[in-house]
Amino acid sequence: MSTSESKTTASAQFLSNIIGQSVVVKLHNGMLYQGVLESIDGFMNIALNQATEHYETDANGLLHRYDGDVFVRGTQVLYISEA
Amino acid sequence: METPLDLLKLNLDEKVFVKLRGAREMTGTLQAFDSHCNIVLSNATETIYEFLEGELKSNTKSSEMVFVRGDSVTLITTPSEE
Repeated sequence: MSTSESKTTASAQFLSNIIGQSVVVKLHNGMLYQGVLESIDGFMNIALNQATEHYETDANGLLHRYDGDVFVRGTQVLYISEA
Repeated sequence: METPLDLLKLNLDEKVFVKLRGAREMTGTLQAFDSHCNIVLSNATETIYEFLEGELKSNTKSSEMVFVRGDSVTLITTPSEE
């Protein structure tokens, strides 16, 4: 019980700590988004600012640059990490 | 704190660009959405990409009003000026 609680806090802490940081978000379909993490919720819905789009890795070249905020649906997210 | 869905409210009544599963995109005016990402777009244009004979082809379909089921939505943003 207490271990699962502390795990929850650790992951929630990670998510709140990386707000405002530059992050990478990978989706199930292989698309990779790099940008500044504006906000994130418990469903892993994500809002990114100054997002760039790549396929699988950012070494694969820039596919698109989004000027406005980008909303990514939580169910599509594979992982999020600090860039 | 503002959640991502709160930030999406700023796009209501504005033009949005929606990426869907299966190499599809949709642009239109965001009329409504919910927490499942079900969305209603007016003056919507669907773009479908496919590879035909080694070439990337795209088809478009327009509709006055469309309800998009949330589970096919991957991304929502403002359309880029081209």
